[in-house]
Amino acid sequence: MDAPSTLEDWTGQIKKDISENRVFVYAKGEKNAAMCGFSHRVMQIFNTIGVDFSVRNIFSDPNIRPAICAFTNWPTTPQVFIDGQFIGGCDIVTEMYQSGELQKLLEEPAASS
Amino acid sequence: MIPIDEVKSKIEEALPGARVQVGTFSGDDHFEAVVEAPQFRGKTRVEQHRMVYAALDGLIGGAMHALALKTVPLDPDSAT
Repeated sequence: MDAPSTLEDWTGQIKKDISENRVFVYAKGEKNAAMCGFSHRVMQIFNTIGVDFSVRNIFSDPNIRPAICAFTNWPTTPQVFIDGQFIGGCDIVTEMYQSGELQKLLEEPAASS
Repeated sequence: MIPIDEVKSKIEEALPGARVQVGTFSGDDHFEAVVEAPQFRGKTRVEQHRMVYAALDGLIGGAMHALALKTVPLDPDSAT
């Protein structure tokens, strides 16, 4: 398959990303090489709890950011998905980590999609 | 640059009865806010954050580079 180029292509790619990966992050920067403090913190949390995650760098194509923001109706990145569900951005993931909710969610077997 | 007071009043107008604290960090375009509002009750965190983003109507990602946000559902009986 050719690399996505249009906004519509990217919306399709997003659906594929989040269905094929249990934890998926749309971030500023590559995996473990964030170019923004909030993206860095989200990746650090998943590393700390020892959960594998996949990342798509929103700077790798100019259509990714508008596609993901329209898909979730959410204005900022990073954006985190678990089991295909939009979980939120850095603030929500941090709160869920601090309360233990995130670890609990990830200890459970992957929700069937 | 958006004044802190403007950010605060936009949120308060959209969510009557809310307690709102707004500040900045690492520069004038990185905002942080704690919003306690009765309207958050029964909503998911994602929905609560969307309500605040909606109140700021396009500022986030534009004039506001970032908004570190904490939302707290407020018990209407405790509102003063």
